[in-house]
Amino acid sequence: MNKKSATLAVTLMAVALSACSQSDNDNNAASTKASTKASTAASTASAGSGSPAASAETQDPFGKYPEQITLTYGKAVDPTDNSLPAGDTPEHNQYSRYILDNLNIDTKVTWQAASGTNYDQKVNLAISSSDLPDALVVKDTQLREMVKSGQLADLTDVFNQYASPAMKNFMEKTGGKSMESVTFDGKMYAIPSIQVQSDGVHEMWIRKDWLDKLGLEPPKTMADLEKVAKAFVEQDPDGNGKKDTIGISGQQNGSKLYANFLESTNNTFGLDPIFGAYKSYPGYWLKDEAGNPVYGSTLPETKEALGKLRDMYAQGLIDKEIGIRKSAYEPIVSGQAGIFFAPWWMGYGPLPDAIKNNPDANWQAYLLPLDADGQFNAHMGAPSTLFVVVRKGYEHPEAVVKMLNLLVRDESKFDISVPVGFYPLRVPMSYTDESEYSAKALKEVLAGTKKPEDFTDPGYKLLAADIQNVTKVKKEPYDNMDIQNWDPKADMGTWSRIYSLLVGSSPLEQDYNKVYSLLYSQTKTMESRWSNLKKLEDETFLKIIMGAAPLDDFDKFVSDWKKQGGDKITEEVKEAVK
Amino acid sequence: MRNRTFAKHYYFMLLPGFVWLILLSVVPMFGIVIAFEDFNPGQGFFRSEWIGFDNFRYMFDLNDTAQIFGNTVFIAVMKIAANLAVPLAFAILLNELRFMAMKRWIQTIVYLPHFLSWVILSGILLDIFSYTGPVNTLLSAFGADPVLFFARADLFPYIVVGSDVWKEFGFNTIIYLAALTGINPSLYEAASIDGASRLRRMWHVTLPGLRTTIVLLAVLSLGNVLNAGFDQIFNLYNPLLYSTGDIIDTWVYREGLLNMQYGLATAVGLLKSVVSFVLIVVSYLLASKFANYRIF
Amino acid sequence: MIQNAGLRSRLFDRLLVIALLLVAFLCLLPIWYTLAVSLSEKSAATAGQVWLWPVGFNFNSYEQIMNDGRFFHSFWISIQRVALGAVITIAITTLMAFPLSRNTREFGPRNVFMWILVFTLLFNGGLIPWYMTVKALGLYNTIWGLVLAGGVPVFNVILIVNYFRNLPKELDEAALVDGTGPWRMLFAIYVPLAVPVLATVTLFTIVYHWNEFFHGLVLTSGQDHYPLQTFIQQLVVVIDAANMTEDQYKRMNELSNQTLNAAKIFIAMIPVLVVYLFLQRFFIHGITLGSVKE
Repeated sequence: MNKKSATLAVTLMAVALSACSQSDNDNNAASTKASTKASTAASTASAGSGSPAASAETQDPFGKYPEQITLTYGKAVDPTDNSLPAGDTPEHNQYSRYILDNLNIDTKVTWQAASGTNYDQKVNLAISSSDLPDALVVKDTQLREMVKSGQLADLTDVFNQYASPAMKNFMEKTGGKSMESVTFDGKMYAIPSIQVQSDGVHEMWIRKDWLDKLGLEPPKTMADLEKVAKAFVEQDPDGNGKKDTIGISGQQNGSKLYANFLESTNNTFGLDPIFGAYKSYPGYWLKDEAGNPVYGSTLPETKEALGKLRDMYAQGLIDKEIGIRKSAYEPIVSGQAGIFFAPWWMGYGPLPDAIKNNPDANWQAYLLPLDADGQFNAHMGAPSTLFVVVRKGYEHPEAVVKMLNLLVRDESKFDISVPVGFYPLRVPMSYTDESEYSAKALKEVLAGTKKPEDFTDPGYKLLAADIQNVTKVKKEPYDNMDIQNWDPKADMGTWSRIYSLLVGSSPLEQDYNKVYSLLYSQTKTMESRWSNLKKLEDETFLKIIMGAAPLDDFDKFVSDWKKQGGDKITEEVKEAVK
Repeated sequence: MRNRTFAKHYYFMLLPGFVWLILLSVVPMFGIVIAFEDFNPGQGFFRSEWIGFDNFRYMFDLNDTAQIFGNTVFIAVMKIAANLAVPLAFAILLNELRFMAMKRWIQTIVYLPHFLSWVILSGILLDIFSYTGPVNTLLSAFGADPVLFFARADLFPYIVVGSDVWKEFGFNTIIYLAALTGINPSLYEAASIDGASRLRRMWHVTLPGLRTTIVLLAVLSLGNVLNAGFDQIFNLYNPLLYSTGDIIDTWVYREGLLNMQYGLATAVGLLKSVVSFVLIVVSYLLASKFANYRIF
Repeated sequence: MIQNAGLRSRLFDRLLVIALLLVAFLCLLPIWYTLAVSLSEKSAATAGQVWLWPVGFNFNSYEQIMNDGRFFHSFWISIQRVALGAVITIAITTLMAFPLSRNTREFGPRNVFMWILVFTLLFNGGLIPWYMTVKALGLYNTIWGLVLAGGVPVFNVILIVNYFRNLPKELDEAALVDGTGPWRMLFAIYVPLAVPVLATVTLFTIVYHWNEFFHGLVLTSGQDHYPLQTFIQQLVVVIDAANMTEDQYKRMNELSNQTLNAAKIFIAMIPVLVVYLFLQRFFIHGITLGSVKE
């Protein structure tokens, strides 16, 4: 692209954006009805007095500052992203301009780093050297450290006064769990993210083409699962004449066997649903019959599940190299594996590479295997894992709430050719059922029972685009999800999303048993004891499954666990959840 | 007399280096205080709560402290020995090679793995030692059963040491090669005239010529006696290998994941430094007392 | 007798060649593998099907890099850092090494300084105070931060000190008789004789500054200031699965783009290799002098 046309594109985009923001304001005025008028009046009043009013009454959640204010923040970026138009930067882009135009807040990036480990490192450094920008997105451990150090502004009043009804609505949908995670001694110290619950539900992904070839059905019970895995291993489902297939694939070297209460979502390729089929939830805090907290890993159900896994491993039904393989993607992409367990979004990866290697690899997802009562049990993730915090002493803490209000209101209207991750301080704010709802809506539109116009709630922010795109990659018959009825080559990016929704999220519309951990954060004694208890647990369980230790080592583990601090921690959990 | 006038110049020569040293190495040492504190960033370095030796006590209080320290020292000492001996042997053998072009190429090639990070190399190692990888293919060619290497805690330390040598020996050879240039060629000629075989020449001329370098490197590497190599082990280990592979640094890392344990991490660092320093001082004193030889 | 020895010697040569070639092969393996992956089809690499030969041979990764301005921007920062770092380090360490190579009779406090150096080699205050110091000195986000923040390379100083100490004492005496001053003595007599060790230290310094990525991450505000290895490192860092957002599902897959990462690693290695081939002359030259000519 030459320079001239690039400049032109930027100019056009700016025009489009300002036009768009204009209509947003109108829309909003119509939809929020009466409250708007009152709050506009309030904001005019406060604008007149020239100081951010500290009164208890509600303020305009979208009030534009009469004079430009500045907000500095640290930014997590995606270093592989190439979507920014020429001249734009992670600091200055369509989103920062949108905030400037609508709220008169000039956002400045103090530093940026790749999301993940690098960003965490920069945040840790900023915390421990007390060299903080005005606002940051942090994780649970970092939030706790900052609260403990007294580095954060109390957002209780600010949130009550400025949070938009939509944002408060999101928060309420989590049943108070999100609010709990940011409240310390009755004060609110952060705005929590609200994540989709589907990231925490691990489903069974299975090669349906293999099932069909061998004349099998998706395994409903553990006995079925064993039978199918055996057939996958022994009956050469890939037809290459070699006995090189894997029944059930597992996690890679260094990854987890199952999600736990501290890392409760996206445990790709672990064996969580198998534990669930035994009503076992290792790594989670549960209630026993008397209503007291117990740690799932220490319960007899877990021993039973481990016994079964050990047995299946010995029979060769589970990947021999579970937990020590270089990459869990490998057997799936190469077409060796027949079953794995993971959340809904596998269409983003590894499936694109898998179907590139074998276009007939028909991966389908199910909420299976079921427990003895015919129920699917899923441990659910924490509703909030990211937190927006404001430095103590920053003059405009409400600016952060306003920016997030704006995000919640307008996210569905943004031009997402530039990822919304570039929105300053963006954290996911979604309805927890976003993926399931979108999948259902797509199916209804495809079936013709509903029209695109029937879906107007802007809280489902990507749905409009999804409805528009779905027929690009989904071929008729629309109600058959087998891989031959898709056209991934048309647009791999769209395929990833739509396949993830229609195949990955659809099963979540069913009823299933949702099991929450009593607690998704640590207690005092955990700070000094948990990593050792976890080491004991990880080592014992993996050894039992792989036959390096007898099953009865489980009992020793339970007593050691209790002795080495587990009992004390259980007491603390009891206190914490009272 | 002359010494005194020279000394003034010597101070000038030291000046830039020591300014650099003081600003960026000495000044930051104030941070050592947090090893004795319950560090609270809000209160800073000098007002955080003083807890004395609690961080150290905690470290020695755990059920598997002995195991973690044992693993660390075992792996680290083997690494130190191997990383001194293998490059030395290699440098001497390379020195015997008579084909100049080949010498140059081999030297360049063996230095390559140093430039790959453990993230990359561990991936390659996991492949090489995987259930269907080259090593197991070779084993089954000899009729042996395939081995799940990374499920075998008994083999893990040796894989760690072996692969570390594989990565670093070429690079470590450089110091020896530079030292070899200092050996007087006439010594070889004299030995040759005396009819000494090549092995004898290597033993009686080359090796003694490298003696000071070997001793220096050995003493300085004592500083690593509690460094078993975090990056490498972190990228290779899994819970099955904890019993022989969990080291101080990986343990501190897992601690820090839950909690920002700066006090603990600094305490561990300080402990390592003290141990290394003591070892180096002792070996320095022993060398100067018994061999009347100053290492540096 | 002599013939017998010659025969044995030739046998020795042959065994030596075979052994060294084998070792070289083992060392070539990882980089060869990286090259093969970089030239392969992405889906094949993800499936683990690439071993020593590319599968679905193509140059896509290299084309992609050539079109990435950020890669070359970081490349340039690395070049500056290495050049400044090498010059400053060599100058300062050589200057320091000379007085420290004197014995206590010639330079009384020599041992005190030496032990201070060894002490700082082993003890440090940890990441945070160091970071705060660098910031306070105004080195944050500057090329000088990258060049100087690592501190004095004490190990290199000790190497040079020992090399100087092993040079014949007669040199000093001759110079003293001539009335040569200490500066002239260092630059006219010691430095020319210490070329192999100075080449070694130069090499170490260049390699250190080229490969060091952590300072690039910690001491700069972002990608615009990253040296090359930091730029590359950030592409392969692990994403926290608990905090995934829409954009990151995609990135998870990008992360497994082993072919592109392999190509970047391979390209980043080339400059140090060239430097090595050049500096190697000094060691090889030395060895030629050291070995017996037949």
